[in-house]
This record gives sequence, structure tokens and C-alpha cells, in this order.
Amino acid sequence: MSSESSKKRKPKVIRTDGAAPEGKRGKGDGDQDLRYYSEECEVDLRDPIKDYELYRETCQELQRLMAEIQELKSRGIKDNAAEIDERRVQSCVHFMTLKKLNRLAHIRLKKGRDQTHEAKQKVDAYHLQLQNLLYEVMHLQKEITKCLEFKSKHEEIELVSLEEFYQEAPPEISRPAITLSEPHQQTLARLDWELEQRKRLAEKYKECLTSKEKILKEIEVKKEYLSSLQPRLNSIMQASLPVQEYLFMPFDQAHKQYETARHLPPPLYVLFVQASAYGQACDKKLVVAIEGNVEEAKALYKPPEDSQDDESDSDAEEEQTTKRRRPTLGVQLDDKRKEMLKRHPLSVTVDLKCKDDNVLHLTFYYLMNLNVMTVKAKVTTAVEMTTAISAGDLLSPDSLLNCLYPGDHGRKTPNPANQFQFDKVGILTLSDYVTELGHPYVWVQKLGGLHFPKDQPQHTVTADNTLSASHMELTVKLLRSRLQSRLALHKQFASLEHGVVPVSSECQHLFPTKIVSRLVKWTAIPYEDYAELPYTKDVIEAGLAEDTHLYYMALIERGTAKLQAAVVLNPGYSTLPPIFSLCLNWKGERTGSNDDNIRAMESEVNVNYKELWGPKPGHQLLTNQLQRLCMVLDVYLETEPHDTSVEGPKEFPQEKMCLRLVRGPLRLKPFKFNYPQGFFSHR
Amino acid sequence: MAAPIRAGPEAAPPPLPVPGGVKRSRQLLHMSVLSLSASPCGRYLAAGNNYGEIAVFSLSAALSAEAKEESKRPIGVFQAHPGPVYSLASSERLLLSAGDGEVKGWAWNELGKKGTRELWTRRPPCRTSLEVPEINSLQLNPRDNCVVLAGGDGAVRVLDMESGSFTHELRGHRDLVHCLALRDLPPHVLSGGEDGTVRLWDLRSGTQVQVIEVHKYEECSRPNHGKWIRCLATDSDWMVCGGGPALTLWHLRSVTPTTVFPLPPRQHHALFHQDLVLAGGPGPALHQLQLSGELRGRVPCTPPALRCLCLSPRPPEHQVLTVAGNSPKIDVFTNLGYRAFSLCFT
Repeated sequence: MSSESSKKRKPKVIRTDGAAPEGKRGKGDGDQDLRYYSEECEVDLRDPIKDYELYRETCQELQRLMAEIQELKSRGIKDNAAEIDERRVQSCVHFMTLKKLNRLAHIRLKKGRDQTHEAKQKVDAYHLQLQNLLYEVMHLQKEITKCLEFKSKHEEIELVSLEEFYQEAPPEISRPAITLSEPHQQTLARLDWELEQRKRLAEKYKECLTSKEKILKEIEVKKEYLSSLQPRLNSIMQASLPVQEYLFMPFDQAHKQYETARHLPPPLYVLFVQASAYGQACDKKLVVAIEGNVEEAKALYKPPEDSQDDESDSDAEEEQTTKRRRPTLGVQLDDKRKEMLKRHPLSVTVDLKCKDDNVLHLTFYYLMNLNVMTVKAKVTTAVEMTTAISAGDLLSPDSLLNCLYPGDHGRKTPNPANQFQFDKVGILTLSDYVTELGHPYVWVQKLGGLHFPKDQPQHTVTADNTLSASHMELTVKLLRSRLQSRLALHKQFASLEHGVVPVSSECQHLFPTKIVSRLVKWTAIPYEDYAELPYTKDVIEAGLAEDTHLYYMALIERGTAKLQAAVVLNPGYSTLPPIFSLCLNWKGERTGSNDDNIRAMESEVNVNYKELWGPKPGHQLLTNQLQRLCMVLDVYLETEPHDTSVEGPKEFPQEKMCLRLVRGPLRLKPFKFNYPQGFFSHR
Repeated sequence: MAAPIRAGPEAAPPPLPVPGGVKRSRQLLHMSVLSLSASPCGRYLAAGNNYGEIAVFSLSAALSAEAKEESKRPIGVFQAHPGPVYSLASSERLLLSAGDGEVKGWAWNELGKKGTRELWTRRPPCRTSLEVPEINSLQLNPRDNCVVLAGGDGAVRVLDMESGSFTHELRGHRDLVHCLALRDLPPHVLSGGEDGTVRLWDLRSGTQVQVIEVHKYEECSRPNHGKWIRCLATDSDWMVCGGGPALTLWHLRSVTPTTVFPLPPRQHHALFHQDLVLAGGPGPALHQLQLSGELRGRVPCTPPALRCLCLSPRPPEHQVLTVAGNSPKIDVFTNLGYRAFSLCFT
């Protein structure tokens, strides 16, 4: 077979070689079938396996031919040349065959490749299609789940249960025939029923509202009626008052007071109760009353306590913000201060009457946020008093009650907790507000039963009745003696300003009948002026002159000698005697520090004050002291040795009878007056 | 506090922040310490004031290293005389105090205890009952065991300590006698008085030896301040005296004022100390003067006017100077240059 095929092919190959293939192709397509020799078509027709067999055979044939040629050549050339040629030709043919086979193989390869490519493209297209379809499936699935998850609004509405629905709903709504079988229709019917029911309830609600309105109106009318009743009752009460008075039955008044007393804060209540109790039991001239707006006080107690707590909380918060922005929030801080210093709308007044119908009015206030009590004082006199200029401070509310108990100036708050409250709102001390608020003396707190221990501040200070009771009697007595001594001083000052030292008949024995030195001036001076005097240094250093005391300047004259006396009047006069500091202007300035006799004169009034107290209760102490100053000035001047270097008679001839002129190492003059002999001796 | 109070001065006044009450605070304000005397051992100091009180201070406690405020307060105060305590003197065993017309002897070892009473009281004879003359100065004479008294009636009296009787009454001063001083050789007592004279007395014979009328010497006379002699001190032939006249150093044998010290008049107390004269008077300062008349130092003190100076021995071989005057405070000097601290009446 191979031989056959090789034979057939042979001419073709030759032919192809002989004629140019291009020429053949260029001849047009029309005769392609005839003329065109296409190896490509040949490829289809030929079996590749047979081609492979042919190739092998050809190769073997070639090998054999080569070997024969070599053998022939090796034998010698001449003889075998023809044979060799022949064989050469044969091998050429074989080569042609090989070439042909090679081409075919190439074409086949190309064809194979093309086919593979085509198939691959097809597969790709299919793959793409598959993916599209998968995506679509997924999308549809999502849509389906969405639909499945949808919830209708009606499911939230609570419906009556099925049984109830069929029992209660009218058949035209429930339509049991349809609904029992169809759940959808059933649900719709139930919803209808629900709507129906709700409509009915809404109507009922409207009806109720109108009836409520009606009832309210009725109440209003009844209230109006009641309030119109009150003034009528009041007028009846008013009309009954004269009857009560006529019958000496002040039930109504007392009842009223106790009624208002219920609205007093605890400390004022304690004060009220204790003061009126003391007044009833021991002191008929003590009158206690309540003043102020009761309505406001009532309003204070309406809000429950926790709301107050809230307030204080917000206080604290606001406080923080104000601290940050203090300069811009001055007004707000001011309001805070006012709020902190607010007093209770009710106050208790206590009127203390003295024998001569002079009255001391005390008004007690309670500062709610500070938990301290304050007092304001006022004096009304029975007779119009001649106003002495120097007596201005004596009865002023600011100083009248100063140091009722030693050291109680009433300028600082007695409650130690207050300082922290002040720090919050920027109050330095309470003393700046004292004139407005009244003085928070310690005794006032005690009367109100408030006790603030200094060393251990308690959390809550409560009003204590026993404390108030234990201080009431002493305080009332002190108040009364304070008023009396001030009034007595007031009277004395009026005559002192006119240069008259009033000496009562009981005290005449303390002084000789003739005293030449005269008081010419009596004026009040401020503390600063007093402190500036050079001869008051010792008194200030000894702590006997504080700025809360009262200060006066007296001028006593005799001839060319002028004696200045600076006087410290302790508020506790006359139990605490006044202190005099002297300065004599006569032949130079003589004071206690450079003249022992001036010092002795000072101690004559300052230390030996007991004999000058006079009759009880010692209100003449000051005038007696002044009179004694005049007396000892006389002694001083008259016993001064005559200066021989100056001509003329002595300015002050000795008129006083003295046992000895000089005594002791201090060379003191005889300042002590002896009654009734009327001579002067040394103390 | 709760006790009711009766109206009036006799009622108990409310308690004062001042200890001792109102009266005491006033007394302290006007207190003058007129006399000082240290115990012979130097550990205690007695001070008498114008209210007749004697306060005993423990100098050793106040000077010790661990002295507190309390140790500068008196360990005891007692009322010695009704009037002022004009003068104090110490013997080995006794403290003598002089008041109005009486001399009292106190045992040093019992002073400061509560309820101390005087060992004895002697009253010099006086002529009238109306006016009891004060005793302005005491001068102990250990050699004869007697004490010399400067009387307010112008008499200098000698009290024999053994018998307790007045042995001599030396009259000569025309007014009260202010001060006394003792001279060893010849054994004379000097007295200075209001009449402006310094008189020398022989104690054994009881006669007046010499009279120096200080105010008649122009160098030291200050007529506008008076002629009274308030302070007197001696050291062998030298004498310092002053008062109304200026403080002057005198040579006794020749009776001449040798140095007039440049001090203001009215000096109250002068002392010889080593080669210096210490002087105190008006003005809150202690003056240290050299015998030549130079002012060596002026040390500020607490009292506004000085009344008395007191030198006391302080073992070992130190001396303490105490100074008092118109103040309840008594200044203590361990060194002449500055005030160490102050003792104080309470």
C-alpha cells in the first residue's frame, strides 16, 4: 500500500516543483478545482498514521541507501559510480517524500490549533452565560425572602381573641360563613370589629370630658360662695372684740398670736415661748409680739424639703459656673448673697419697759440660710430728751447692745459653718451687712436656743428650750441695766456739754465745796483720733481700748492750765468704769509718762473708781470721775512749787489744806480728799 | 453664766478676758515697781509695787535655758503693806520691806509659798496719828547688824536687828529723806533728802558729820526742777548724787563736784558698777556713764520711766542687772549691752 501511495504521489511532487505555485494561484479561482492543488485538502484525506508509517519507511530506505552508497564508495569509485548515482536519485526521491511529509505535519498542526481555539471560545461563552443565570437566581431568591419577611401593620394591633370575636361581633361583621374558612377574610373582619369598638370608646371619652367640665364649674361656684363667707365672719369677729376687751378676756389676741407663732422658725419660736413665759412669770413689763407677713411664712413651708435640696444642688452648680465667670456675673452673685442673707418673714419683738416708761424695743430676726438670729434695737423715751451732740452713739441701735456680755461685739457670725457659705458667694465678713440685718450677738443665739460650740461644729444645730430659759433672766436684767445706764449717760452728757458736771447730793461728800477747775468741753471723738493721741498708747497696749468702745474728749481748765482727758467708755458702763488718759498743758506738756503726778491723777480716777460709784446702780460714776479730775487738778496746780526764777505771785495760791506736799520716792502730791475734815492727804 | 445678776455695781460683773478682773487690769495699767531686791544666793528676786504687793520671781528659772513664759511670771505675789512698798533690802536670811510707817522682815526661804507671813514688824515712833510718815529707803549695815531707815518725817533711824529696837534717831533733814548710802571707810551713812542736802552721819556716835548742800553748787543746780536729792551711791571717796539737781560725781574728802553727767534731771537711781555709773530716770533707757562724764551707752528698756536698779550675783561670778519702773514689767540684763527679757507682774 505504501508503495502504491508513494507511486501516486511522485508525479505530483515533480509537477509542483516544475511549475511555480504562484503562477498557478494567480490564474484565478475559477479553475481552482482543476488546477489548484491544495495540500490542505489532501491533509483531510490522508491518514496521519499512514503518513507516519510512510515516514518511517522512507527513513529506513534512506538509511539503507546511504549505507549502500558508503559501501560502494569504499570499494572504489569508478566501478560503482552509476550505482551511486542511481542510489542518489533514489534518495533524493525519498528526501522529497520527507519534505512533503513535513509540510503536511505543519498544516496538520496548524489545523489542530485552530480547532482547539475555536472550542475554547465556545466554552468561554457558555461559562459566561452560566454565571449570568446564577446571579439571576440569587437575586430572585432574595426577592422571595424579602416578600416572605414583610409584616403587615395590622399584626401590631391587639385584637380580641377569636372566641370573643365570634361571640360579640354582629354577624354582618363577623360573617362566619366566609371567615371561618378563610383566615384572610377572618383577619379583615376582626380588624373591622376593632375599628368599630374604638370609635365607640372615643365617643364615650368626649362625654366624660364634658361632664368633668360641668363639675368643675360647680366647684368654682361653691368656692366663691365660701370666700364671700370669710369677710362676713371676720366682721363678726371684729365686732366681738370690744366685747372681749370689755370683759378683760384677750382670748382672741392670744389665740391669734399662738396661731401665728406656729409659723415661726424653731429658734424664734423658742425665743417667743421663753420670753413670753418669762414675761408672764417674772416680768410684767416685758411684752412679746410677733410681726411680719404670716402668708409669706406659710408659703415658705409649702414646698417639701427635697425641693429645697434641689435648690441647694443647683446653687452649687451655679456657683461653679459663677466662679469661672465672676466679673460678668456680678449681678447674679449679688442675688446669691441676698438669698443667703434672707431673713424669715416673721420676727419677734420684745418690748422692755423700765420704771420711768422708757422702752427698749428689740426685734429678733432669723436668717434662714445661715441659721443665726439677729437683733435690732430701738429706744423710745417717755419724755423728749434734749439732744446732746456727743450722745449720738449712746442710743444708736448699732452700739446700744454692744458687749452686753464681754467680748460680744455682734459683728462676726457665731455659726462657724457660715464662713464656708460666705466663701462661696464672696462675702468677706458679716459685719458689712450688720446694719441692715441686725447684730448676731451670741446672747441672741442663746435666747433662741442656738448653741454653736467653738471646737466641734455640729452638723445640725437645733433650737434648745433649756438653753434659752437659762439665759433669759440674766439677759433681760443686763438689757435693762444697759438701757438705764445709757439713758443716764445721755442725760449727763447734755449737761456736760454745757460745762456743768452734775454731782448729786449723795456724792457731795466726795468733793470739797470749792473746786476752781471747770469742765469747758465734752465731745465725742472717733477711735482713730483717740488712737493717735500720744498719751493713750499705754491704754491701747493694755488692750483696754477697742474700736467698738465709745471715745470722748474732755477739756478741764483753770487759768492757763488746760487738762485734756481722753476717755474710753466701755459699752459695759458702769460695771466697767471708763478709763481716762490725761495730758496737762501748763508750762510744757505733762503726761503720765513724764510726770508721776499726772500718772497718779489718772490712777486716782481709773483705779480708785469704787468710791466714785455713788448710789446704786452707779450711774453717776462718769460725772464723779470728772469732778474728781477737776479736784485733783486743783491740788496739782496749787501744790506745784513756786518757780523762783519767775517774778510775780504764784498763779495758783494754795487754798487746799494739805498735811504734806510731797511724799514717797515718787514725790506724789496729796490727792486724797478727807471728808468731813476737808483736808487733803496722800493715798 | 446662768447665775442671776443683781443690778448695780456690787453685783458680780460678768467675767472679763483679763485675769483678775476689771480692778486688776486697771492696776496693771498704773503699776509702778518701786523696789527690787535679789536674794543673797541670786536665785530669787523680790519686787515691790505701788499697791503694796511683793512679787517673788525665780531668776534661776527665768535665766535657765529651758525658760518658758510661765517662768517669767512671779512664783508668788502677796500683800506686804497697805500702802506702796517703798524699799526692799536683803540680808543673809531675811528680806526687809519698807512701807508706810513700818518695816517688815520676811524669811527668804518661805517666800513664794502660799500664806507667807512676815516674821516681824517694827514701827518707828511717830508724832501724829493723822499722818504716818513713810519709809523711803532701807540700808543694811552688815558690820553692825543694823538697818538704816530714811523716814518721811526727815529723820534717819537705825534699827538694831538683834534687839529689834531703834537705837538712833538722826535728825537734821528739814523734809523727807529720800535715799541712803553706806560708806566703808570712814564708816559713815549718807542720806539725801527733799531739802536738797546730802548729810553724812557717824552711826556709832549718832552725830551729823557733814552737810553738802548740793543745790548751792551752780554746776549741778537745776532750780526749775527743784533741789531734792533722789539718788545716792558711794564708792570709797566718791559719791554720785542726783534728783532735781543734775547727776553729779563728787569727791567726798574735798567736797567738790568733779563731773556733771550729761543726763536729763530727775534721775531716780544710780549705781557704781565696776568702773561705770549706771543711772535710770525718766525715759525708757538705762544710761551707762564713765567716771569722766562720757555717756558710754544708752540701752532701751520697757518701762517708760525707771525707778530702781538692782545688781544681783549670779553664780558663777556673773552678775544680773534688773531694772524696774512705771510698768508691771521688770527688765533683766545678763549683759549690759541689751535687755535679755522681762519679768512681769500678773
